[in-house]
Order: sequence, then C-alpha cells, then structure tokens
Amino acid sequence: MAVYEEIQQFLAGRIWLRHVMPFPTEKIDEAIDQGWIQTMKGVIEKPTWHGKQYQCNRCLNENPSPFTIFQCAQCETTCAYCRNCLKMGRVSSCSELLVWTGQAPAYPTDHRMNWQGNLTPSQEKATNELLDSTKQGISHLLYAVCGSGKTEMLFQPIHYLLNEGKRVCLAAPRVDVILELLPRLQAAFPDTVIEALYGGAEVERFDAQLILATTHQLYRFHEAFDAIFVDEADAFPYTADETLQRAVKKAVKPSAPIHFVTATPSAQLLAMNKKQGNISILARRYHGKPLPEPRNETLWNYEKQLKKKRIPKKLLQWTKERLENQQPFLIFFHQIELMEIAEPLFQQLDERICAVHAEHADRKERVQMLRKKEIPGLLTTTILERGITIPNVQVAVVGAEQTIFNKGALIQIGGRVGRSVPHTAGDFVLFHQGITNAMDEAKREIRKLNKQEILQ
Amino acid sequence: MNGCLLCEKPLDDQPTWQQFLGISKSSPVCPPCLALFERIDSTVEDEWVDSIHSLYAYNEQAREFLHQFKFLQDIALAQVFASDLRNVLKNSKKIIVPIPMHPANKAKRTFAQVDALLDAAGIPYEQLLHKTTESVMGEKTRAERLAMTELFEVKADIPSNEAIYVLVDDIYTTGTTLRHAARTLKQAGAVRVEAVTLFRPTGKK
Repeated sequence: MAVYEEIQQFLAGRIWLRHVMPFPTEKIDEAIDQGWIQTMKGVIEKPTWHGKQYQCNRCLNENPSPFTIFQCAQCETTCAYCRNCLKMGRVSSCSELLVWTGQAPAYPTDHRMNWQGNLTPSQEKATNELLDSTKQGISHLLYAVCGSGKTEMLFQPIHYLLNEGKRVCLAAPRVDVILELLPRLQAAFPDTVIEALYGGAEVERFDAQLILATTHQLYRFHEAFDAIFVDEADAFPYTADETLQRAVKKAVKPSAPIHFVTATPSAQLLAMNKKQGNISILARRYHGKPLPEPRNETLWNYEKQLKKKRIPKKLLQWTKERLENQQPFLIFFHQIELMEIAEPLFQQLDERICAVHAEHADRKERVQMLRKKEIPGLLTTTILERGITIPNVQVAVVGAEQTIFNKGALIQIGGRVGRSVPHTAGDFVLFHQGITNAMDEAKREIRKLNKQEILQ
Repeated sequence: MNGCLLCEKPLDDQPTWQQFLGISKSSPVCPPCLALFERIDSTVEDEWVDSIHSLYAYNEQAREFLHQFKFLQDIALAQVFASDLRNVLKNSKKIIVPIPMHPANKAKRTFAQVDALLDAAGIPYEQLLHKTTESVMGEKTRAERLAMTELFEVKADIPSNEAIYVLVDDIYTTGTTLRHAARTLKQAGAVRVEAVTLFRPTGKK
C-alpha cells in the first residue's frame, strides 16, 4: 500500500505526463486498473465549423499557431504537439496525461499563525470581507492601492483555509513576486508545508498544503485547490495570455473561489467580479497619506536627442537635482534599446548609475544597492513597476505617451513613490511628448482614490 | 501572430517587397537570437572524410538549441537552419546521406533530427546507412568512442561510385560518427565522401 500512498501524494491535484512519472510502469498500470488514476490524451482534436482544432489537455491552449504537426516515428501517424507548454515536457497527440481520481490525501488541520502585526481599521475591514467570501466560497476582488499592505490581509483567510484541512494556492504572474512572498509566508505559517513553484524550481514537497506558484506552473495542476489567491492579477503576462487564465480555473476544484488581489484592476476584472463576486476597496496606504499624483512635463524629441548623445535639458536638470539632494531615483524607459543608449550618458553624471531589465540576472542586487544608497539611481524598463519598495525614491517616466505605459502601469510606477515612513511623498514626473488618455486616466484614478473616505 | 521560435517574443515581421517577390524569406527567429549563433564555416579533412564543413560554433546558444530540439523534442526548430542548409546543399549533384538513428532511438525521440533538418530545408536525401547499435556518442568517453567497432552498414547498393556523397549530421565533435559512416560508404565503393554539420566545438570557452 506504500506505493499507493506515494503515487497519491505525488499525483493528487496534478496532471502529469505518463512517460515521466517517477514510478514503475506496473504500479501505474495497476493504479489505472483500480480506477485511482484516469488517463487522457495529451492533445485532442475538436471539430469546429471550419474543420478541426487542436487543444492541449495540460495548458488548455487552443490557439493553432503553437501546435506543430509532424510525422511521428512513435505512433507512426500525423501527430501534433503543443509548444505553449513545451518547456514542461512535450505533450503530443500520442502522449498520455494522468490525473488522480482516487481518494484525496488528508492535510493537517492545526496550523500556527505566527504573525502579530497590526492592521489598520480599513485593512481589518477588508481582510474580514475576504474571509467571509472565502467561507462562502465566493470569488473576491481585493482592490487595494500600492503600499496598502496587501499580503498581510491574506494571512487570516489563508489560516482559516489551512485549519479546515484545505489546500491553498497563492499565485502570481511573476517569479519576483513569488520569491518575495515566500519568506513572509514561511514566517507567518512556521509549521505548514509550503512549496514555491516557478520555472527551474524542483518540486521537493509534493504534499505541500500551501503552494506559491507562478501562474505558468498552474498548467501542471488539475482541480487541486480549495481556493486560489491571484496576486498582482493585472500583471503581464496573466492578462495577455488566455491559457494562464484557464490554468487558474483548471487548478481550482469545481465551484471553489478564485480571489484576485491587485492595485490596478482591469475593467474586465472589475466587471467579472461585479457579476459574480464580492469586492473590497482599500483606497489608503497603511501610513494614511495620499498617493502621489503624477506631474506632466513635456520633453520633445527625447529619442532623437538621446541618439545624438545628449540628455534632454529637463531630464538632465531633474537628474542633477536628485543627485544633489541625494535622493534615490528610478527612470523608466519604454524600450531596452533606448535605455542602453541613455545609460553611458547618465554615467557621465555619476558613473554608478546603471540600467536594469528583464534579462539582467543581477537586477535583484542592483535594486538592493539602490536601497542601500550604494548607487544613486537606476534606469529601468517596466520590470521594476511593481513589487519593490525603496525609501524616499523619486520616479520619472521618459516617454510616458508610449503605449506600454497604460493606466495600470503608470499607477504601479507611481506606487513606488512615498511608500514608507517618514518619506510618504515624493516626485512622480511623466516626461512626454503629448498627453495620452492613459496618462489622464491614471491621474484621475489616483485623485479619485485620494478623495475616498478612510476609516478611523 | 507568430513569435520567435527560440525566445517566443513576437517577431517584427513587416512584409517587404523582397519577401513578396520571393527573393528573401522571413526568418522564424528574431535577429537578437540569431546573432547569438557564431558562424564559423570551418572546413577540415579527416582520415576517411575528404572534407568536413561545419557551419556554426557549438557555443552556449547552440547547446540550448540542440537541447530544445533533441531532448525537448521540438521538431519545429528544424526550421531555424533551413535556409542555411539549403544554401550549402542546394543544386549540387552530390548525394546527400543523413547520419541515421537507430530505429529504437528514433521511436523514442519520435523523429530523426538530421532527417528533420533536411526535410525543413527541402533538400532531397537518400538513407543509405543503417545504424547497427543503440548506443549514443554523447554518452561515451573519448577512449570508448575510438575503440568502437562498426557503427553503420549500407542499406542498399551504392548507386554510382563516381558520385560525391555528403554526410549530414548535427554536430561534429571527435569525428567518430562521421569517420565510421565514411568508411562504411567507401568500403561499399564510394570514392569521395564529404560531410556537412551544423555545429562544431571551437575549443574556446
């Protein structure tokens, strides 16, 4: 029976390729015969009005372009495989996926919560509302501004679920967010088996009750969780990739709630939650001070000037002021190429200024250096738009009219400013060549939130 | 909407007149990914192989490419070098002979990588060789490779010993595979045997 338990622990809630199962073939065959494991085809063909359409049963991708069709030497027919989730092991028409249909494993119900932080009255209200929705099994949108202490508001609902013996997932689109959350949750729930899953991480505890995962990793789950909290639900690539949204739905048990946590909900997310869920709005930061409003400044032909090896005058002046006042700063660019042209120009002002983007492996260290004031400022792409806190940071956006700086991105970027006491305000300047709707909407949204009444 | 085959970023494919007229083809890979491959075009001779032409250095990018192509079984990547191989192998009267895989290994991988490369390039080839052993070069030490007995046998009669034969393989490391294949062909009557491989280690790190 030991093997039964091992397979149960491994496979419960997961969807796994048969040929990479770490168990002897006979044992898998036996489990299938006993009805503990159900098999399904990796890629299926679905008839449509214009012919047929492939669907990957792991990542639920239906878009035809990632499917590659070839003459397979194994099944000796025309075979299709899915490139959307290829990195997790190839799923093709002739591969089999396994899901656990036997008894669900039992999880412990005595979890210690080691967290004595104080919640403000408005945080308290929001966390209670989230807890109520969780108990009722209703999806909840926690719409809380940047710097309002979102993670702390999740602790009580998660603790409740764990003590019910339920399996919980905290998902986020970006690995940086997961890595930042892991130590905080480990500290809050010291006795709970917690596992963090992201690209390149090996699974160590298949029996983890609380799973932190990038939304990509949810491709590997099948009706596993009694609740999922999606943090930063508006971040790239979650909103842009429909298969990730399907993956979240596939990873929860039928009718289990999916909660969203974000500072900048998309119109779609707001509409969805209005229809079938509850919402809590938290308009004030934990320190009670208003969000910094953006300030628009024209900066004509910045691209041309930078290419001529000249920093535009207003930007130069802004940077010099930051250097003189010794205020750490972030300058956002819309494009890596332009940022790399600008990097040596800024280094003439101070040689420690450097650039970060998604492919820099040491971006964490550079942000850390900025925090420690070892470097005066960073040039960055939107990669640093969320999740980071640097005391007294001042922010400029170069080319705020570019489409990449949509309303959500601008609000997130502004959310870096004035996060911590005593520096609860700061400069948030948008250098532009023409004001866009997104810039207006971001400003309007920030003003609206600042006007909301706060609980005392 | 199609992305780059290697980094999945969307390709900036503005249609051009050259593409429309069929003079140039759009690449399935984005320029930054393509630039990471180092073109070397090295040509060497060997005891049994009259000329071995390797197109690219076996660098980090090449290693990742082969990993995704062969071990993640991403046959779509055969397209990446289709035009390079076509340029090297097209219009010749030479007989193209892919280095074969053992049928059992081919079934496991679900495709034979060299055949897939040539199919993508649209180059006709003749499978004259048959692999006799299931063992794979990559898992052997140099001494083991050198001590190997015959790896291949010819499947059919060699059509015309006047013709030039070109062996095609993905990578040229110690040369054991190519040497064995060339020897088998020559012993069956071939006079001149050349080889083309995609990658070759250059020794520098």
